[in-house]
Amino acid sequence: MQTLDPQAMAHISEVSVSVELQTADMTLNIGPQHPSTHGVLRLVAKVDGERVSSVEPVIGYMHRGYEKLAEVRTYPQITALVNRIDWVSGFANEIPFVVAAERLMGLEVPERAQYIRLILTEMARISSHLIFMSSYPLEIGAATPLMHALRERERVLDLLESVTGGRFHPNFNRLGGVKPAAGAGAQTKKVVQDLPAGFLADTRAAMGKVRDICDDLEGLVTGNEIFQARTIGVGIMPADKAAAFGVSGPNLRASGPDYDLRKHADYLPYDRFDFEVPIGRNGDCFDRYRVRLEEIRQAASIIVQAVDSIPSGPLQAKVPKIIKVPEGEVYVRAENPKGEMGYHLVSDGGRMPYRLKVRSASFSNLSVLPWLLEGQLVPDLIAILGSLDFVLGDVDR
Amino acid sequence: MIVVFGIGFWAGLALKIGIMAAIVPVVALPIIFAELKLSAHMQHRIGPYFAGGKFGWAQPLADGLKFFQKEDLVPDSADKVVYKIAPYLVLAAALAVFVVIPFGPDLIGRDLDLGIFFALAISSVSTIGILIAGWSSGNKYSLIGGLRAAAQLIAYELPLFLAVVGVVIQAETMSMIGIIDAQQTYEVFGLFAIPYIIPQFVGFVIFFIAALAELSRTPFDMPIAESELVMGYLTEYSGFRFAVFFIGEYIGIFTMSAIMATLWMGGYDPLFFDLASLSDVAANVIGPLVLFGKVAILVFLMIWMRWTFPRFREDQLQDLAWKWLIPIGLMNIAVTAIFKVVL
Amino acid sequence: MTTNQSEPGAGEGEDEVAVDSPTEDAIEEAGGAAEAAEGTEPTGPGEPDPIAELAQRFAEIVGAESWSADHGLAKIKVTNADWVSAVSTAHQNGMPFLSFLSAIDWSQTVAVGDPLSDENVEERYELIIRLSSLASDDAITLSTDLSKYHPSIDSLVPVLPGADWHEREAAEMFGIEFRGHPNPKKLYLPDAFEGYPLRKSFPLLSREVKPWPGMVDVEGMPESESGPSTENPEATDGAGVEEEGAGDADA
Repeated sequence: MQTLDPQAMAHISEVSVSVELQTADMTLNIGPQHPSTHGVLRLVAKVDGERVSSVEPVIGYMHRGYEKLAEVRTYPQITALVNRIDWVSGFANEIPFVVAAERLMGLEVPERAQYIRLILTEMARISSHLIFMSSYPLEIGAATPLMHALRERERVLDLLESVTGGRFHPNFNRLGGVKPAAGAGAQTKKVVQDLPAGFLADTRAAMGKVRDICDDLEGLVTGNEIFQARTIGVGIMPADKAAAFGVSGPNLRASGPDYDLRKHADYLPYDRFDFEVPIGRNGDCFDRYRVRLEEIRQAASIIVQAVDSIPSGPLQAKVPKIIKVPEGEVYVRAENPKGEMGYHLVSDGGRMPYRLKVRSASFSNLSVLPWLLEGQLVPDLIAILGSLDFVLGDVDR
Repeated sequence: MIVVFGIGFWAGLALKIGIMAAIVPVVALPIIFAELKLSAHMQHRIGPYFAGGKFGWAQPLADGLKFFQKEDLVPDSADKVVYKIAPYLVLAAALAVFVVIPFGPDLIGRDLDLGIFFALAISSVSTIGILIAGWSSGNKYSLIGGLRAAAQLIAYELPLFLAVVGVVIQAETMSMIGIIDAQQTYEVFGLFAIPYIIPQFVGFVIFFIAALAELSRTPFDMPIAESELVMGYLTEYSGFRFAVFFIGEYIGIFTMSAIMATLWMGGYDPLFFDLASLSDVAANVIGPLVLFGKVAILVFLMIWMRWTFPRFREDQLQDLAWKWLIPIGLMNIAVTAIFKVVL
Repeated sequence: MTTNQSEPGAGEGEDEVAVDSPTEDAIEEAGGAAEAAEGTEPTGPGEPDPIAELAQRFAEIVGAESWSADHGLAKIKVTNADWVSAVSTAHQNGMPFLSFLSAIDWSQTVAVGDPLSDENVEERYELIIRLSSLASDDAITLSTDLSKYHPSIDSLVPVLPGADWHEREAAEMFGIEFRGHPNPKKLYLPDAFEGYPLRKSFPLLSREVKPWPGMVDVEGMPESESGPSTENPEATDGAGVEEEGAGDADA
């Protein structure tokens, strides 16, 4: 009897028992028009059944050329432009830019203006995270948290509107402070206008409601077994990989590092307030969701502390009529809701910047996608994409 | 029914077909309306309130009219014949179950001896309809949705049947009216009749979960998966054909709930009250009302679950069917059989 | 690039950060130590500037030509040949976080905006990369100069995977070639786009059609059938235009 070579035998038996069908990977184009891509993002995915073998993001559908536009705008005009970068948290985009210009000019921003800036930035943070709370469960399949989270977000937006006049694009920052007066046009008389009456009390009440909705969401979404089964262990991002790609904000903190620019950069007086920075352990989608939920609570706490201790004073430092920023180069970074947002401002001493580089959080957050999505299942792809919480305006600038 | 009203066979048949045709909107439209209103109130909204006065009761009618007057689109790359047949296959399978649903002691299309077997067998024909709809649309999203549907619907057929077998063992018959009669006479310790939901509670839960999966409702709506696949196998269907799918889904909800009400909750029989003591006509009027009441409870449960839970991933869904529902269903059958023999 | 001292009594005056000709100090300290003379003085007499210390420390670690620390920006200049090794060293020695990578086009003739006020600035592309630490407030900016005529440098992707998209963007916006980049396709712009938009020589086409109206955008009603009038009193770069105290940001 012929003794068969076990190696050849193994090969043969494998082939006869498990006949692999020759299948070609299907190229599935997700986007640019798709319910779940947070805007015009196109993912060219090669899928093998339900498993994704590779993903190539195609971006640039919303590229508006901010950096070029900034070279032909004066500084106050750019303030109106930049809150459209990450339109979900409009107010927060203006802050690092005005702080950068103020640093080059050596301006001292009055206390009251700094507190107002801080309160409105934290409100922008709550607004952005509540959008995440409404859209992320929807992508997993639960349709009800959408309505509840957006309902509470309306309260915050109403407060923003009562102060700045705009829900998403406030245009409220000025070089040296915040907008000190209203009606400064040719037709109306200039009137010094501070915060609206009742704003502080309304804010305290709204923050109470925001905390209530966080508790509701804990019950409805966090504790839901199906939600946990869909998000725990899905899309794990190790901290060193995240840092090498520049992933920042809640995405980075969910992987472990305790790195919050509110504690590490001094663009606003966060050191006067007592708040915790939530961090996660595993770096999966569930941790990213939980970090954002806890950040809403912490932001509400900061706002209440700020409202209780806001000083009085002028709203804007003295600036000349035609603002010229002295020569210099500075980079100011801030903790935007999406992550680290920064402006590298190169000034030549004129009224317009020489070069303004916008470091947007979602651009770096998205650049990790090809690495993160390799080998995932299609429903997991949607879950991971949603958990990164990016906005295409931020990605494409 | 022929005996009751003394009319001939063909006239009786025509009458039954007429009633069936009339029943479809009567049962589907209120369920659609209930879904719209209940989901709205769960989400802190109002829901429809323009169409038809204060409560918006005409909204489903208005939606139906809207679908009928839309353009008839067939995608270029679709397989035209199959594309056009698919919705009607699904609707036909859903409607065919009406033959064996007992609305009253005499109000049943035909009381087949194989009642429940026929109902489940014919309703699984809709699986083919969904699969060919996904394949023939000429769209990759539809294809993925159709494949997911095939896997899901076939996997959940088994728990459906296993749950029913427990009831059949207890009732010793597969005829629908026979099962209702068996629940009337099922007395524990000779005290009072209890519906099978109590001894067969495990079977009831399994059937409920499997029915949700068969209907492709959240948490089992992977085939549609609106946030991932646009609309899954329904992506390329619009206008009248979409309306056919839509009505088919809600009819399916009604038939599954009616089967559950019949098999586990006593059907048209209000159990603490003897329907046979009434005259025939009265029994045939109260019977449907009782059945609709029980169906309403179950439909409410289905709607409630849809708007609360996210959806399962495909492999988690299959895990649930194969690793949990089927073994538990088998154990249920074994325990039922043992008790049947022993007691 | 000139640095501006804000205190009046600073004895150092203006330091020019030399780009192409290191001083004799550098030639002496060939072992890779930084030139102390090339950095800016700490602010105030005897007060240590943490940014300056940080810049000096990293300049020593990566073997840089020069460093500066104005307005809180620790900027360290390296040569083209040292670029990849400097970034890699900094990345592994306490700066694991990549903030961004981009470029600045230093050019005397500009098609948009105001030209440079100082005519002695050398025309070049300055490539900048910012790295931060996760454990503390520290962050540094490394920069290197590329020639205008053939801007080409080794890609950082082998040592820093996150630089992938940033380099693609810099490549398409400035026309810089990154040798060894695994996927040098355009990121933002359509594939058929010609030109490099962020170069100072690239005009803003919308401003070619309609010149920048200046501070206040005033457009009159169309006077004739030939179309809307683009005439407005402030058609130049707003020289001598009255503006409101804080600038009209609602323009």
